[in-house]
Amino acid sequence: MKTLGLISRLTWQAVLAFVVVAFVAPLAPTATGQEKAVPLSKVERLDRAPVNKEVLRVKLPRPVAVKLKNGLTLLLLENHKLPTVAFSLWIRPGQLADPSDLPGLASFTAGMLREGTERRTSAQIANEIDSLGATLSAAAAFGSSYLSVDASGLISDAPQILDLLSDVALHPSFSPNELAQYKQREEASLEQRLSNPGFLARQAFRRVLYGDAPLSITSPTKESIEKVTADDLKKFHSEHFRPGNSILGVTGDFKTAEMQALIEKYFGAWAGAAEPPLKLPSSATPQAAKITLVDRPSSVQTFIIGGDRGIRRTDPDYYALTVMNRVIGGGPQARLFLNLREEHSYTYGAYSNFNAESYPGDWFASAAVRTPVTDGSMTQFLYEFKRIRDEAVPQGELDEAHRAIVAGFALSLEQPAQVLTSWLTVQHFGLPADYWDSYPDHISAIDAAAVQAAAKKYVDLDHLQWVCVGDRKQIQDVLAKYGTVAVVDANGKSEN
Amino acid sequence: MAAKRLWKAALVPGLLCCMGLGAALTWAGTVRVPDLDLHDSRLDNGLRVILVPDHSAPVYSINMAYNVGSRNERPGRTGFAHLFEHMMFEGSANVGKGEHFILVLNNGGGMNGTTNEDRTVYFEELPKNQLDLGLFLESDRMQALNITQANFENQRKTVQEERRQSIDNQPYGRAELDVDNLSYDNFAYKHSTIGSMSDLDAATLQDVKDFFRTYYAPNNAVLTLVGDFDPDEALAKVKKYFGSIPSQPAPLKVDLAEDAHYGERREIIYDPLARLPEIDIAYHIPPGNTPDNYAAQELAVILAQGQSSRFYQHLVKEKQLASQVSAVADARIGPSLLYLSANPAPGVKAEDLEKGIDDEIAAVLKDGVTSDELAKAKTQLLRRFIDQRRSSLRTAILIGQYTVYFNDPTLINTIQDKQEAVTLDQANATARKYLVPDQRTVVTTLPAPPDATASAKPAR
Repeated sequence: MKTLGLISRLTWQAVLAFVVVAFVAPLAPTATGQEKAVPLSKVERLDRAPVNKEVLRVKLPRPVAVKLKNGLTLLLLENHKLPTVAFSLWIRPGQLADPSDLPGLASFTAGMLREGTERRTSAQIANEIDSLGATLSAAAAFGSSYLSVDASGLISDAPQILDLLSDVALHPSFSPNELAQYKQREEASLEQRLSNPGFLARQAFRRVLYGDAPLSITSPTKESIEKVTADDLKKFHSEHFRPGNSILGVTGDFKTAEMQALIEKYFGAWAGAAEPPLKLPSSATPQAAKITLVDRPSSVQTFIIGGDRGIRRTDPDYYALTVMNRVIGGGPQARLFLNLREEHSYTYGAYSNFNAESYPGDWFASAAVRTPVTDGSMTQFLYEFKRIRDEAVPQGELDEAHRAIVAGFALSLEQPAQVLTSWLTVQHFGLPADYWDSYPDHISAIDAAAVQAAAKKYVDLDHLQWVCVGDRKQIQDVLAKYGTVAVVDANGKSEN
Repeated sequence: MAAKRLWKAALVPGLLCCMGLGAALTWAGTVRVPDLDLHDSRLDNGLRVILVPDHSAPVYSINMAYNVGSRNERPGRTGFAHLFEHMMFEGSANVGKGEHFILVLNNGGGMNGTTNEDRTVYFEELPKNQLDLGLFLESDRMQALNITQANFENQRKTVQEERRQSIDNQPYGRAELDVDNLSYDNFAYKHSTIGSMSDLDAATLQDVKDFFRTYYAPNNAVLTLVGDFDPDEALAKVKKYFGSIPSQPAPLKVDLAEDAHYGERREIIYDPLARLPEIDIAYHIPPGNTPDNYAAQELAVILAQGQSSRFYQHLVKEKQLASQVSAVADARIGPSLLYLSANPAPGVKAEDLEKGIDDEIAAVLKDGVTSDELAKAKTQLLRRFIDQRRSSLRTAILIGQYTVYFNDPTLINTIQDKQEAVTLDQANATARKYLVPDQRTVVTTLPAPPDATASAKPAR
């Protein structure tokens, strides 16, 4: 059975987390496209709907924060709607600590946690989890300064879930036999990833933005999958899996004191002081703007990314960049969507995003457009980039952005796991304890000048990096109009 | 990709029961999530209204479910129900094009619409003080859609990009459509919901107007509200916004019956975008909300959902024939399908993987599944049921869907009993009856050299 959505499902869920402002896009310059011009279908506001002008201000429920003797920080957030519990263990430094000759080591380590411990085989772990109707997963996201181990299930099973969680996190066995099987699965995953246009775009984008490892890495390689040994995993685990490096968040139908005692029972014996913060190689100086064309024969669309380096999570520009990002591409009410999809019919959706991390992350806009309108789409992306830089956002649009972000907090109250993640973020990045309480006021203080300053800084046209994944035979000449084009294959090898 | 269909299982009813566990574990007692309190009524114009108060968060969700899907399309107009869904966002008498997105998102909400074979749903989730906004938006477009040639051309092309993005520019896109195409003879479910490019090109503005009048009437719709409101106040508002919309003659019902199938159906697809082979299999199972369909849901879990499932343990871990496996069972209004999907491990031939799958199915038919496996499946479905209950939006969509499909909104509560009622004998009888070669489709996708155009051939 196939269910189709009006807008991409994942994007909608991301939009709930923050909110944006939309604006009626004035008539954009027509591109010299390769298609017969379709009459523009104009976005229009009638302002006749009954809107309650009052903004529902809500305070995010705050967890109780406790630091155990062994250095493990706990965040405990009660929620009694349903008889469930969910744990999220964040362990730094994550993939950023991969050795340069073993990209993916953190993700191999995380992926192998479930494949056996000192007391349990992989099959036993799987059977226990499924018998409880629980979940248990671990992942080290590429570009992220932490890896996470997550578990959830019924609150009545909390002791057993904690037993499993602590067992896999603290006592994985990393058996060579299981590792050999894991490698086979990883090899297959890598092959699948290389056929995905979105992945190919992200891979090329990170490489051109950051140059070398670890920040440029988005995936293990065939070589690193082949090379990694059980000893490598053990070494990574013993070096980095320490309570001093970790935060354990938990939300559910418990009493805080009782849950704390239970956690201490399973995690209290864990030992290991915090590591000093990871020293990252300083990023290469930004490159001049150019286009990387990733050749993907048989493509019927071009996947376009245009972006630049952004900010650290703790950067005071975070609020301004949040508002700027919302205005230009934060959802179906934002400028890129209304322009490229609703008016020009180029795409199913166009959006922008940014990743603020422990290092300057990225900001980028993207869309998958049909191949013949690659030219027109590049023109419209540039039009919107210039507009956000050169023109102050009108006051009405700004007011709506402030309003939307504050009003959007209400929806997050339905998902305590989401609320918990918000507080894990505060703890991990060392943001102030009252961060979410003062967040609405900081957002409201962002005026048009601040948005424009952020746009000029982070939509830096002189250093903007484009990545276009598609059929080079059809798009290479067209893209040459927008800058120097370097052609690579799916593995990043030059095809010029 | 093998895992692709798994998220659709979210629309599958959850379940709850007493659970037995594996030998080493004890169960800490039965969990039963309290029943939701449904206020179920009908306006004079036929609109079914279901209200579920829930004061746990200061939000509400609104779902408008229309009794129309791609099953209602005629040859030459595949993809039309979904294209029409897009038109519902292009403006109505008092809402401009694009304004729906603007109003909902800028007031702290989220929204979307989805179409499948059986129903079309439109939903919003908003802070509780925006109840009028949600009701206004849904009633305005039910009453008077603003359809222009320019808007229509725009969304026709948007839908064609949606098809390219999710099917034509992805590996295994063709396989996904062909599995249903081969499995069904009745046109209703045989053709794809996304439609063919040429049918999408052929659709006209008059088609849109006719479709709107026929299907988008209050007597063909179910409005569900879940969240933080007072039911009496909410019902009064519903009457205010929807009461004056006239009903229309009931649309013709679609015959979904399938004739008996004789013989397995097979196809090989050469896919230039695929880097690994894939095997996609579908077995015929009865319509949703039948005892055998509930049994099939649980069989799907036992076969290939979760890492303790048979396919994962035997095909991925022990024999290393597969790198990825998945299974999901549909619960449609009409005859449904149980889908299996698998990708081979590096170096393994597709036919060897298929042999491995056949061996697993044969084992189930010969020796049956065990009571432990059945209990485990029920527990996993319970877990999903509870997760769904946390979301007012998920709950509103499910209630609307149960009502359109089966005329039974109380399934949101009773589904747990129906799942619990599946016995071991029944599960094994269902397997023996439906997981047979004569009643299945097998589509094998093989990587083709780059620059080849996609081609397929039937395989005998």
